Amino acid sequence: MIELHGVSKSYKVKAVRKHVLNRLSFTFPRDRNVAIIGPNGAGKSTLMRLISGSEQPDEGRIIRHVRVSWPLGFSGGFNGSMTGIENVRFVARIYGADTEAVIDYVRDFSELGRSLNLPIRTYSSGMKARLAFGMSMAIDFDCYLIDEITAVGDESFKKKSQAVFKEKLPNSRIVMISHSMSQIRAYCDCGLLLTAGGIWYYDAVEDLIDAYSASMARSARKS
Amino acid sequence: MQAVLALQFRVLAALVLRETRATFGTTQIGYLWAIITPAASTAVLVAIFSAIGRQPPFGASLALFFATGVLTLELFNKLGNSLMTVFDANKALLTYPPIKETDVLFARAILIAVTYVLIMAVFFSGLMLFGLAGPPAHPGELMTAFATTSLLGFGFGTVNAVILSLWESWRHVEKILTRPLFFVSGVFYVPSYLPRRAIEWLEWNPVLHAVEWVRSGYYVNYDSTVLDKSYILWVALLLTFLGLAGERLTRIRRSSA
Repeated sequence: MIELHGVSKSYKVKAVRKHVLNRLSFTFPRDRNVAIIGPNGAGKSTLMRLISGSEQPDEGRIIRHVRVSWPLGFSGGFNGSMTGIENVRFVARIYGADTEAVIDYVRDFSELGRSLNLPIRTYSSGMKARLAFGMSMAIDFDCYLIDEITAVGDESFKKKSQAVFKEKLPNSRIVMISHSMSQIRAYCDCGLLLTAGGIWYYDAVEDLIDAYSASMARSARKS
Repeated sequence: MQAVLALQFRVLAALVLRETRATFGTTQIGYLWAIITPAASTAVLVAIFSAIGRQPPFGASLALFFATGVLTLELFNKLGNSLMTVFDANKALLTYPPIKETDVLFARAILIAVTYVLIMAVFFSGLMLFGLAGPPAHPGELMTAFATTSLLGFGFGTVNAVILSLWESWRHVEKILTRPLFFVSGVFYVPSYLPRRAIEWLEWNPVLHAVEWVRSGYYVNYDSTVLDKSYILWVALLLTFLGLAGERLTRIRRSSA
C-alpha cells in the first residue's frame, strides 16, 4: 500500500539536531488498518506527514500505490481569515472533487449551520475538528491518515464519525495515531510502536498495546 | 502525463482563487480596488507633473509616457515584493500533499501578472477615452515586453524568497536596494537622450530595458538606442534559474527549520 525505503528525518531545535527517523524501511500491509502509537515526541505526527507527502524526507523514498489523504488533525491547512465554506471549496478543488457535493456533505455532517459562513479564526477547536473531519470524509481516499482527530468532540460527534468510518471501511484503509487504546482496538488490526529507542511493528493489536504499556511502565520507573 | 497536468492545473487554479480571496478581501469590489488604486495613483502623479507644466519627454502625452514607465516598474516591484514572503504562506498549505512548494509561487505570480494586465488595460483605455493616447502601435511587441518583465519580476521575487528564508534581514536590504529603481529606470526621461557616460551605467539595470521595451511596443517610433532585448531576457532567465534552483536546494532545510 505505502512503502518506505530508508527514510530519515531530522529537525533542528535550537541548534540541536534531533533525529526523528533513522533509515526506516517499512511496507504498510495491504488491507489492514494500522495504528501508530508511542509517547509524545517520538515522531508519530512526523511519520504521518511523511506518509502523506506533505513533508519530504531528508533521505530515502516513499512510494504510495493508493490515494492517500492529508493527515487529519485539528487545525492544519485552514486559512483563518477565510470562511469554513471557502476552505472546504478550496480543498475540494485541489482534489478535483465535485465542489457543491462536498459542501453539501460537510454542511450536513458538521452541523455547523451558519458558522460555516464565518471566518475559521472564530471557530473553537471542536468546530474545526468537525469541519476537517467532514471535509475529508466527503472526498474519497483509499487510505485515511488520522492524527488523533476522532478523540475530540462530544458523544454525538463521536458516534457520527464512527458510523461514517463503518461506511468507509469496506473500501478504504486507515492509519491512525491515537492515545486512546479503546479507539485503537476499535479500528486497527496491527500497528507500529514508536519509542525513543526504536520502532517496532506488531502484527496483532493486543501485542502492540501490551508492548506499549510495558514501555510506558519502564520509562515511568526510570523517571 | 495528462493526469499530472490536470492535477497541476487544478492546484494552480484553486490557489489563484484562494490568493485572490486572501489578497483582496471578502467584498466583490475588493479586486476592483486592486485595479483602480495603481491606475488612480498613476493618474495623480501625471496630474501633478502636468500641473507644474512639464512637457512630455517623448510624444504628445505626458500621461502615456509616464504610465508606460511607472506601471512597468510597479509590475516588477510588486512581483519582487509579494513573492519574497511566499514561503511563510506555504507552511499551512503544504498540509495538502497535492500542493507542492513551487505552486504557491506560480499561483501568486499568475495573479499579479493578470492583475497588471487589467490595470494597464484600464489605464490605457482611460487615456484613449480622454484622447490622451492612441492604441498601442505594436501590440505583439508590447505583449512580449510585458511577458519578459513578468518573468524578470518572477525570477527576482523567487531569488528574494530564497534569500529571505536564509537571512531574515533581506526584507529590509531589498527595500533599500530597489528604492532607486524609480530614478534609474527611465520612468520620467528618455534614456536614449542621456549622455553616453550615464548610459554606460544605467544600461546594466534590466528594469530600464523593460521600460524601454514596453515603450517601443506602444509608440510608433520610439527608436530606443539603449534597448537590448537579449540582455533583459538573459537576466530574467538567469534569475528564474537561480531562484528555482535555490528553492530546490533549500527545500529540506526550510521544512526542518
